[in-house]
Amino acid sequence: MTTIETPEALSVITKEAVVDLLYRMADDELMIGHRNSEWTGHAPILEEDIAFSSMAQDEIGHAHVYYQLLHELGEADPDTLAFGRKQRAYRCAALVSLPKNDWAFTIVRQFLYDASEQVRLAALSACNYSPLANLATKLRSEEKYHMMHGRSWILRLGNPTEKSHEKMQAALDKAYPYATGLFEPSEYCQPLLQAGICPTENELKSQWESAVAPVLADAGLTIPASCKPVYGGRVGKHPAELAQLLEGLQLVYKIDPSAKW
Amino acid sequence: MADTQWEVYEVFHQQSRGDPHIYVGSVHAPDAEMALVLAKEQYARRQACVNLWVVPASAILATEYADEDIFDRATDKSYRESWGYKTPKTIRASQDEGAKRDDD
Repeated sequence: MTTIETPEALSVITKEAVVDLLYRMADDELMIGHRNSEWTGHAPILEEDIAFSSMAQDEIGHAHVYYQLLHELGEADPDTLAFGRKQRAYRCAALVSLPKNDWAFTIVRQFLYDASEQVRLAALSACNYSPLANLATKLRSEEKYHMMHGRSWILRLGNPTEKSHEKMQAALDKAYPYATGLFEPSEYCQPLLQAGICPTENELKSQWESAVAPVLADAGLTIPASCKPVYGGRVGKHPAELAQLLEGLQLVYKIDPSAKW
Repeated sequence: MADTQWEVYEVFHQQSRGDPHIYVGSVHAPDAEMALVLAKEQYARRQACVNLWVVPASAILATEYADEDIFDRATDKSYRESWGYKTPKTIRASQDEGAKRDDD
C-alpha cells in the first residue's frame, strides 16, 4: 500500500474516516487534560502536583496538534474546534468526561487511558497517512513517560495497605467499563483498516488488555469480570458530566472568542 | 502528628552525554524509582536532559560548616592552580574564543 503524503491525496471515504479518528483522539486528549488540570494545586504532594500538571499540559498539547491536523483536512481552526462546538459535536469517550473524583480514580483512569494511547500511537506511527504517522511517532515519547508515571503509582497504591487497595479496586471497578468504551466500534473501523490507517477498535482493545493486565495483576488488582463497555461518546451521546466540564472550558471563549491569554 | 513526609532524594541532571551530572535540587519520594519519575517533571521539564540520577539524601556524608577552615590555605599554594602553568598559545586562544562565544 502506498503512503499518502497530503490531505488532497486521501480518498473521500478515507478522509472522512481520518477526520472522525482525529476528532475522537483530540477530544479525548482535551477533556482528560482539562480534568487532570483540576488537580493543579490539589494533588497529594507538591512534586506530584507539578508532575501531574505537566502531564495535563502534555495531553492538551496533543489535542492542539490533532486539531491542527484536522484544520489541514479542512475543519475549523484549533481554537474553534476546542472551544466553539456544541456538546453533541464532541467525540470524546465517556471515560474522560467523568469528574476527577479521588486520587485513586484519577490514577487508574489516567493509567488505563495512557495505555490506550500507547497502543493507538504505536499503530498510527506506522500508518499510511504520513502526516499522522509522523505526529504519532513524535508523541510516543511523552506517552512513554506517562506510562512510567502511571505504572509507578498503580503498583505503589495497589498493594501496600488494605485501605489503599480497597480504594484502588473501587476505582478500577468504576473506570474499567468506561475505559473499554474508549474502543467503541464505528462505521469507520473498516475504512480505516482497509486504507492502512488504523487497526480496528477491537484489535486495539485486545492489545490494550495485554498491556494493562500484567500491571494491574502486579498491583494486586482484579479486572472486573463481564463488564459492559460504556459507549455513546463517539457518536456524541455524552454523560451529564461533560456539560459541566464544557461550561468551564468554554466560558471565556463564549464571552470573547478572540480573547488571548 | 507523625511525620508523613517522604524521604528526600537529591537529584543530579545531565544535559548531554559526556557532561558531568550536576546537582539541581531534591524531591520527596517513597522510593528511588518514584523519585526518578517525579524528578523528571521537576528538573527536566524546561532544560535539555539525557539522564537523571537520584540519591537518598541520607546516603550523603558531608563535612561540617564548623570545619570550613580545613579548606583554608595556610601558606601560598598558588603552584597548584592551573594558571600557574604555561599554557600553549593555541589552547589559550581557543579558550578565549569559547569564552567569547559564551558571552554572545
